[in-house]
Amino acid sequence: MSALEELTGLASDLVNPAVLDWKAKGGKVVGFCCSYVPEEILYAADILPYRIRASGCAETSSADIYMTHLNCSFVRSCLQFALEGRYEFLDGLVFTNSCDHVRRLYDVVRETVHFPFMHFISAPHKVSDDAIAWYKEELSDFRGNIERSFGVEITEASLSKAIDVCNETRSLLRRLYELRRSEIPPVTGAESLSVILAGTTTPKDQYNQLLRRLLEELAEREGTSGYRARLMIAGSGGCDNPAYYEVMEDLGGLVVTDSLCFGSRYFWEPVEIGGDLMLSLAKSYLDRPSCPRMVDKVAERSDFVKQMVEDFRVDGVVFQRIRYCDLWGGQLLHLRKRLRESNIPLLSLEREYMLGGTGQLRTRVQAFLERLES
Amino acid sequence: MEEKKTLLEEVSENIAFIRDSMAEKYGGKHPQWAWVYELLADYYKGACRAKEEGRPVAWVNFGVISELFWAMDIVPVIIDVITGLTAPTASAMRYIDIAEEHIPDHVCSNNKVLIGAALAGDIPIPDILVHPSHPCDSNLATYPVMAEYFGFPYFCIDMPYFRSERASQYVAGELKKLVSLLEEITKRKLDVNKLKQAMEYSNVAHQYILKISELRQTIPCPYSSIETISEYAIVLSLAGTPQLADYFKRRYEWTRDRVARKEGHLAKEREKIRLVWIYGAPAFDLSIFVWLEREYGAVSVANMNNNFVMKPVEDISDYEKILRGLAEKVTYLPMTRECGGPWEHYLDATIDLCRRYKADAAVFAGHVACKSNWAVMKLVKDKIYDELGIPTLLLEVDLFDPRVASSEAIKANFDAFFELIR
Repeated sequence: MSALEELTGLASDLVNPAVLDWKAKGGKVVGFCCSYVPEEILYAADILPYRIRASGCAETSSADIYMTHLNCSFVRSCLQFALEGRYEFLDGLVFTNSCDHVRRLYDVVRETVHFPFMHFISAPHKVSDDAIAWYKEELSDFRGNIERSFGVEITEASLSKAIDVCNETRSLLRRLYELRRSEIPPVTGAESLSVILAGTTTPKDQYNQLLRRLLEELAEREGTSGYRARLMIAGSGGCDNPAYYEVMEDLGGLVVTDSLCFGSRYFWEPVEIGGDLMLSLAKSYLDRPSCPRMVDKVAERSDFVKQMVEDFRVDGVVFQRIRYCDLWGGQLLHLRKRLRESNIPLLSLEREYMLGGTGQLRTRVQAFLERLES
Repeated sequence: MEEKKTLLEEVSENIAFIRDSMAEKYGGKHPQWAWVYELLADYYKGACRAKEEGRPVAWVNFGVISELFWAMDIVPVIIDVITGLTAPTASAMRYIDIAEEHIPDHVCSNNKVLIGAALAGDIPIPDILVHPSHPCDSNLATYPVMAEYFGFPYFCIDMPYFRSERASQYVAGELKKLVSLLEEITKRKLDVNKLKQAMEYSNVAHQYILKISELRQTIPCPYSSIETISEYAIVLSLAGTPQLADYFKRRYEWTRDRVARKEGHLAKEREKIRLVWIYGAPAFDLSIFVWLEREYGAVSVANMNNNFVMKPVEDISDYEKILRGLAEKVTYLPMTRECGGPWEHYLDATIDLCRRYKADAAVFAGHVACKSNWAVMKLVKDKIYDELGIPTLLLEVDLFDPRVASSEAIKANFDAFFELIR
């Protein structure tokens, strides 16, 4: 089996073989809901960090008893899975104040489903010395709670090793994205997404081995040419379905890069290690390509998209957001203006978490591709 | 050609009109009904003149205290009050439609009215916009983007998720940074003596607000439903001014005397149902409150938005202590207190409000953009019933846009609700 096939397989199941294997060996698995939760702290405790998704969720009838149609379908899908017991394999959950929907997921899950361990990290909404100091304290509290609850010690050595391993992941994924800059990228957008998704639930050592193998294989792989346009996907979290990308790529678009938290923003910059490891984590996680929960980075977010467009020679940006995602909805006002000033075409799409009838999506993307070709 | 009025000028004129109408129609029997509008009319008249008088104007969100601004001779314009006062007019829907050409419809219409007005050029951009990171995504999504888009200074008071001593200290640090930015914009230093004076006035007002709050719990309620909701605007806008302190002194004495006479807005036998609104109210048509009183003897005795329970800042002996006190106050302002943080904040405040005001029923005028409250409303409603034995009416509305649920639709919901509970 090729590395790409193995990674795609790991991404496609909620509880993949790597997780099952980890559990079978007595390992603990803790779920987290947002890329502002430093995985390194869990990994240093020899706990598998597992980024919560709800892929394959077909309906939210139980979740809708508690939440409403006014709440994001990603969060309702996660709640549905929690209520169905699909996350029973998790030994705990970690949340942060990513957005209104996620923070309420924390509240409703606490009241309705039992998890042996739950923690909430209060992350600042801006970057400043005080904010970083606050975040460091929050992460230290989190570390202490992990240690007490799981009876482990997170030493400086184990934390340093965890940071190194995760930084290697980031570096390998950057190399993957470098390959996508080429005129004939060796992977499609859908394949790249699968590769990234696999990393959110697989032990990092194992994942890094697969990534190294993948990069070797891709060097020999015939890439994709003859596409109609090079696309970038930007916007909401919960964009974790390769089939969504496939709709665009089946029509002849090729997704060559993104600004997503299940994408480039997850790994774009390494954790810069200084003397104080917890401070290093706080600084790096807070001050990196951001989501609109960070209020002081509006221009920076739009500039990140613009820079990606230039670096990856993108023809058009597909900005997607899940309905009721206010944070990205607000950013759209600024992003549209910034891209218009640079004559970068933008397609704005609203979606639900579950990929339903794709007819409308196909029509919109088709029209966008025709516009890019003209 | 007549110069086009700004939104602020329109609001100022509308308030002056209401003040005069109230005085003319009710001056004899209910003179107190005009008092709020007298205060607001003067305040908005001043706000309209601020620029030409060389005074900076700050757009301030409901989660921020005004004392700092008044102390620095900056006019705070509470943007949520502006949008609330615009809601009954056709302009609100026009601004919402303009905003929706640029941002999704599910963003809060409170923000959409402001964005639409700004995009239409109907409101001059401020010297600064200030808001807290609580209580919601819609504010976080729009205010910083507006500042970047229109190019004006901006400050977000970052607030930790949970309340604690450590959190209050962090917020005090944020307020200190805010003061530095205000000093930069105004090109003058904060005069701590002026801030102390503002705090003294604010504390006087607050003492009376707390006393009035106790009196308003009496049966029958001495306040009308409209009075209960309308004071929100002046508390936010004028905290730290002698005018607010005078208003509440006068208002306390009036309320105290009314309660001593055992008088309510409705006579005891006519006050059939005591409603507590556990969120906002449909700003586009406050006459719904009058209808409720008239049709059902249902007095809205309390409203989350007018539930100012935070204590006065006791220690104002020096700048650091004042900031520390203001940090605490900001954390406990209505809506920030309930809607920021975990759902327990909302539940505890709601149950306390219903209990203190002896509610017969709770009303959740569920603003469609308020995703965080809708996400836990089932839990809240069930707990209210378990603890207090009272039902909660859930209304799916847009507090600023009647196209989501009209006044008639809201009234029909109340009709059905009262049918069930009586």
